[in-house]
Amino acid sequence: MAKIVDTPVIDVHAHVGQWGAKFRPASPKMYVDIMDAAGVDRMGFNCIYFDDERKSHNVVADWVSKYPDRFIGVAFGTPRHPDETIPELERAFDQLGFKYMKIYPTYYTKPVDDPSYDLIFEWANSRGIVIMCHSSNVADWDTLTLPTKFIGLAKRFTKVKWLLAHSGNAMRGQVLAVEAAKQCPNIYLEICTSFAEAGTIEFLVNGAGEDRVLFGSDIPLMDPRYHVGRVVTADISEAAKQKVLGLNAKKLLGL
Amino acid sequence: MGEVELHFKAAVPTFDACVFLGRRYNRYVRSDSVAGIIESMDRCGVGKALVSHVHAIDFDGEDGNEVLLQEMKGQPRLVPQFGANPTMDDAGQLIAQMRAHGVRSVRIDPKQHNYPFTDWMAKGWLDRLAKEGISVFVAAPQIEPDQLHTMLRAHPDLRVVLSEVHYVHTPWIFPLVRAVPNVYVEISRFVVVDGPKRLVDAMGLHRVLFGSRFPDSAMAPHLYGLHQMGFTKAELSAICAGNLEKLLGRAA
Repeated sequence: MAKIVDTPVIDVHAHVGQWGAKFRPASPKMYVDIMDAAGVDRMGFNCIYFDDERKSHNVVADWVSKYPDRFIGVAFGTPRHPDETIPELERAFDQLGFKYMKIYPTYYTKPVDDPSYDLIFEWANSRGIVIMCHSSNVADWDTLTLPTKFIGLAKRFTKVKWLLAHSGNAMRGQVLAVEAAKQCPNIYLEICTSFAEAGTIEFLVNGAGEDRVLFGSDIPLMDPRYHVGRVVTADISEAAKQKVLGLNAKKLLGL
Repeated sequence: MGEVELHFKAAVPTFDACVFLGRRYNRYVRSDSVAGIIESMDRCGVGKALVSHVHAIDFDGEDGNEVLLQEMKGQPRLVPQFGANPTMDDAGQLIAQMRAHGVRSVRIDPKQHNYPFTDWMAKGWLDRLAKEGISVFVAAPQIEPDQLHTMLRAHPDLRVVLSEVHYVHTPWIFPLVRAVPNVYVEISRFVVVDGPKRLVDAMGLHRVLFGSRFPDSAMAPHLYGLHQMGFTKAELSAICAGNLEKLLGRAA
């Protein structure tokens, strides 16, 4: 007999807005339906489809306003237009009520430790904000967000909580992500990836510790049900599953 | 609070359509043995698995298939799938070996083996396989969609299973499955939102196959996702095992 457990399930890695070039139209209702089917209580999402944070934040705020008890607003920070960056982040956090920030060096086309990011990191450090960043090393060329680059950042900006989206992606990246988490107590790992080799969740939990691994889906690229499945079917304790699914996010994000 | 099943087991019979055996020459994998496959199947409640040997793909079909049969001996839950290369492997000899060992499907890798998937390259070979009712599995990154479309049209009796379809293939996978009736989709890498449901809507229930591509992905997550997707038990049974059983059981 299946054992159904009530436990907080929080998806910390989601995107909203329209990406018609690749996916069918998305809507707040569609996301809530999928969350319900997957058993997800709350979802934190950002919009990275505009290289204009103001537009992105307005889209996010609009979605959050439809289901404020289910959705969590996440800011998008890019240093491409540095004069606009900090004022817009202040608007996102202080006026729109966003809870954490996403950065995406892949779109910015510079490494995560490029000095141009410092203005964002210094601002986030002054507020103790969670920064979620794509992290990946699937091949030798894939170094913009090499997980070990976050070690230096985490040691420089100690009040920032660094959330490594994808935990390095493929297995070679996971090894580096776990190494980064071992060296820095302010580094956390998020699980979603389309690589997802067998044993990944077990490796991350055993390596970084069950308190520092968080569930995310990357919807609309991937379905939350699949990633919930990766956690609940992993060979880890029931307590660890509950932490990864939501308890860790609750604590990290102060929800 | 979200309701999740922390100790999931599949509620229907399961037959994994995409499992690989063997060490890789270029990277470490967390499971490379028959024991590892069986252990994972037991933990997830997977009943049977269709297994190819990576040596047959990476180096040599004849050697790799022989190793596959040796290593799988005495494991009735593992069903062998041969690796094959129409530019190197004689169809008659391959089919004779397959008949001798009850093998009902082959996996081809056109890009890795450096040949176009076209009639001028493989027509006679494919005709022989189609006549035998042998299914051909090919990973989506291994093939040009236009070549696949052309070949599916040209060989209506051939059944091709497109495996490892990824979200990057979303733009062409739905038009393809609507256009041709003899292609099946194995879902191991198709993790887009509502992916299996959308495939069923586009191509019908009976051409969608559960697969994991173990050990490059875990076996159970897709099964969990399928169980949360609103399928009836009969639909789940078809996707998780029945469709593959029927495909492999096609009469020669």
